[in-house]
Amino acid sequence: MTDVRAPEAATTDPGPPRRPARGSYGLVAWLKWGWRQLTSMRIALVLLFLLALGTVPGSMLPQEGADPAGVQQYYTSHPALAPLLNHLGLFNVFAAPWFAAIYLLLFASLVGCVVPRTFRLAGSARTLPPRAPRHLARLPHSAEYGTTLAPEQAAQVAAAVLSGHGFRLRRPDDPAQAWVSAEKGYLREVGNLLFHLALLGVLVSVALGGLFGYKADRLLVQGDTFSDTASALDEFHPGRLATDADLGPFTITLNRFTADYITTGAQRGEPASFDAQITYTAQPGGPSRTDDLEVNRPLSVDGAKVYLIGHGYAPVFRVTDARGQVVFDSPTPFIAGTTGNFLSDGVVKVPGAQPEQLGFTGVFVPTWVDVGGTLQSAFPAAENPAVSLIAYAGNLGMNSGPPQSVYELDTAGMRRLTAEPQLLLPGQSLKLPDGQGTITFTGYVPWVSLAITHDPGQVPALVCGIVALGGLLLSFMVRRRRVFVRARAAGPTSTVQVGGLARTDASGGFEAEFASLAAELRSAHSQHEE
Amino acid sequence: MPVNLALGHVSNDFLIAAIVIYSLSVVAFAGDFAFGRPRRADATARVRQARERATALAVVGAASVAGSGEGPQNRPLAGGDEALPAAADSMPELPVPPLRAISQAGPWIRAAMTLATLAVAAHLTAVVTRGLAVHRAPWGNMYEFVTALTCVAAIFFLFVMIRYRAWALGVFVMGAVVIALGLAETIIYTAAGQLVPALQSYWLSIHVTAMTLATGIFFVAAVLGVVYLAADRYARRIAAGRAAPGNGIMRRLPSTEQLDRLTYRTIVFGFPVWTFGVIAGAIWADQAWGRYWGWDPVETWAFITWVLYAAFLHARATAGWRGRRAHYIQLLGFASLMFNILVVQVFITGLHSYAGVS
Amino acid sequence: MFRTKRRAVVLVAAVITGALLVVVLVAGWATSGKRDVTDVDGNPSAVLYTTGHRPLAPDFTGTTLTGSRLSFSSYRGRVVVVNFWGSWCVPCREEAAALAVTAQQYAPAGVAFLGVDVRDTTASAEAFTRSFGITYPSVSDSGSQITLDFTAVVPIAGTPTTLVIDRTGHIAGAVFGQATYAELTAILGQVAGKAAAR
Repeated sequence: MTDVRAPEAATTDPGPPRRPARGSYGLVAWLKWGWRQLTSMRIALVLLFLLALGTVPGSMLPQEGADPAGVQQYYTSHPALAPLLNHLGLFNVFAAPWFAAIYLLLFASLVGCVVPRTFRLAGSARTLPPRAPRHLARLPHSAEYGTTLAPEQAAQVAAAVLSGHGFRLRRPDDPAQAWVSAEKGYLREVGNLLFHLALLGVLVSVALGGLFGYKADRLLVQGDTFSDTASALDEFHPGRLATDADLGPFTITLNRFTADYITTGAQRGEPASFDAQITYTAQPGGPSRTDDLEVNRPLSVDGAKVYLIGHGYAPVFRVTDARGQVVFDSPTPFIAGTTGNFLSDGVVKVPGAQPEQLGFTGVFVPTWVDVGGTLQSAFPAAENPAVSLIAYAGNLGMNSGPPQSVYELDTAGMRRLTAEPQLLLPGQSLKLPDGQGTITFTGYVPWVSLAITHDPGQVPALVCGIVALGGLLLSFMVRRRRVFVRARAAGPTSTVQVGGLARTDASGGFEAEFASLAAELRSAHSQHEE
Repeated sequence: MPVNLALGHVSNDFLIAAIVIYSLSVVAFAGDFAFGRPRRADATARVRQARERATALAVVGAASVAGSGEGPQNRPLAGGDEALPAAADSMPELPVPPLRAISQAGPWIRAAMTLATLAVAAHLTAVVTRGLAVHRAPWGNMYEFVTALTCVAAIFFLFVMIRYRAWALGVFVMGAVVIALGLAETIIYTAAGQLVPALQSYWLSIHVTAMTLATGIFFVAAVLGVVYLAADRYARRIAAGRAAPGNGIMRRLPSTEQLDRLTYRTIVFGFPVWTFGVIAGAIWADQAWGRYWGWDPVETWAFITWVLYAAFLHARATAGWRGRRAHYIQLLGFASLMFNILVVQVFITGLHSYAGVS
Repeated sequence: MFRTKRRAVVLVAAVITGALLVVVLVAGWATSGKRDVTDVDGNPSAVLYTTGHRPLAPDFTGTTLTGSRLSFSSYRGRVVVVNFWGSWCVPCREEAAALAVTAQQYAPAGVAFLGVDVRDTTASAEAFTRSFGITYPSVSDSGSQITLDFTAVVPIAGTPTTLVIDRTGHIAGAVFGQATYAELTAILGQVAGKAAAR
């Protein structure tokens, strides 16, 4: 009895695996049972749900990797809840062990399902389609017509037509029997398996990229140069198996940075374009090239990519100390706050001032406006720049102890020199009381922040993604289908019966394909009649 | 290049016209429900017989097949396309051309389809003129995105309706389109404007276009899923004896298997597009932000949506999870998609906050 | 037939896992246990390179804080202590006194001290040298190019870093991080000879 049911009827999940039979409670039996459970469709479904569910807190709560400041804020606003959430790993969901467990189990289930199916596919690719059934009229699609050809001849012609359409054929061993079996559509399963394996490839690529890649940041003031070496980077986060030696030996000079803003209309103040003109060399002593770094336009050099991430203003200060020496003359990057329009905060530390070290906290405003006594910025471009400073003198705490952030001033060992913040326009100076010195606001220059990243898993991940997409399309568009042709003698002529069946779920069109195949077979037979 | 505000206004006018004509088409579809000729959204009877045979085969094996058809109103609507020779011959029928099928479906459907086509034309014009006004692909903020995705949904659904003769579903999908556009106009309207530098990339055309297309397709699948659940609930109530099979609206809908299959095919169409959109988004993210995947909230929810639709596809192959449960999953996926667009992009700050909604 | 296929799969998986394990173990063994450095004072950040394993210091030229040109090749034949520092760097300020004293102590023996001023400006750097009594010259390396050249031969990870270069121009000792007087004298004792200190 040949099996003419729709192909792949047995790929639906038959139900949960049975427990081991009584008497076989050995460890191996339980492991086998566990493995069968894991690779069942049901568990795959559960794991998919868990994956989706587990991802949700990663989007609702601030995450350590992307928003560490937000995590701190969460601690302050939810003092009781935050430590509990931290224990559950909810502030770093995507690195949490429980999240890793979910996707690792899912991929184990995937591998356990895909590998046997690959073997099965290889096996079925070698076996022939089943014999043609006797009563083709009982198939979901059937056609019948007469022809003057002899049955064997009719079968021969049918075989030629079907073979021309790319079907794999089976002919009877006994030449007296006149039937043809044809099957097509193995690519569906190939596409399916390719898709799932490619997903595995994406996971491996992401892991490799994380292990061997790195991320680094550097703030660069206009006119300055920096070389890609660990001590010159502001932040350097190598993967577990990456080291300083993986940094490419390039050097970048920021010649000029321009930012254009929209000046009129509803979008006034929104950025229109950013452009950083740089000169770079790929290795020391190599030829220098120019480039325009923009958002969406990174620089590729030495296997790494350099991105323009942000920008800001660095007001230039000159400080003369009590002894009349110029002890500070440098642009100082100020960081934009959240109040908008690039109102920026910063700190000036002058450890070389004698007899007492000096420190200043300040606010830089690109377009300053006095709103009811508070300083605000009216526009992000530097149309009317000003700086407001508070001066301190004493011990900066820089001569010993832990390293300090250049953006924060520790006033514990200092006394405040100015009662009120002092506003300075470009060129103006602030004379400090008690003859402590002077600070002059000489001007400003822009700065950019650059991200330097290297991810060796990037291209493999993309390739796997594209292969996955290709496999997906293949598995959706190709149907597994079978067509049978049987010719019976009916007196001097023959009756030709054609039958076909396909998975009813698949993207439709088999009716149309069968109809046109039947019509083509019929016309081929009439052609051969002449 | 400066934004052409006049053309932006023209675009908005066309959109309003589209909303009006869509509403009229919804009225016409509803009129067919109330007053039109009773029929089921079906292909030829022969195909249904084929399916019945397939089901019988799968269950019983090589048992013989029951008779054909259900009654006079379910005879094939096609006239004699093929010249059938003597009685020994039986060839499968080639399908009826679409225009003839529309005209045979009755005056209400004729009117509804005409109006729907006009509305889609107006909608498409609105989207195109918006693009011309801002000199870029017109999906740079939420208003433009919703307008574009509903246009995709409408065009896709017109295609589905014509191919599968599924007139009865018109009222639901077009109705949903009207509601979505109404919300777009009133709540999230944004005047035509320039894009911030991070969005000034040709990847906008690729990534957001793909997401727009996929969302439009999933929109249709979601509406069909709701209709399926209603039809399935009704069928179960009939089976339990708690409802009479004569209910007017339900009787006109396609059978639950057909609805299920239609929804499945729609999602099968949309899922690769969504996958492509996510990949394109990752490539763009790498260009703009320095990493191809950073678990940004919008990225995360796009991933959740992908996983849920993947779960739907798996559920269809799992015993006990076909039918209602699979559709719940599919609707959950669409809900996560909507949550992503309406809540995450607007309220949760991240790198993706370009909704332009104040 | 299925049985043997499953066995084949299991066998292949086992072989691949075993091979991976072997590779990992060999790699780990190969990269550990460098026998070409010895620690100074028990501090793993202060090292002496054994003869034969001393990297060659790159040549460089730069501008000093006073504006004159300086070429490193002019120091050939002398022991040179190269100190990477910045006026903004707290550990640099902490070690400055030790460097100043050691420089004066070893000057009669002909040991030269040279500073490389990283990511700094002239005014702040001069204020630093004035404050701590640093009399030896420093070249300006605001673009970290000199640092980059040295990083090619020794793993300079941050500031401060102190390198001791022998008379043949090879790097004989290094302190990665803040240097103490004890570490500096211990290294110089080995490189310049015990009789050098007076």
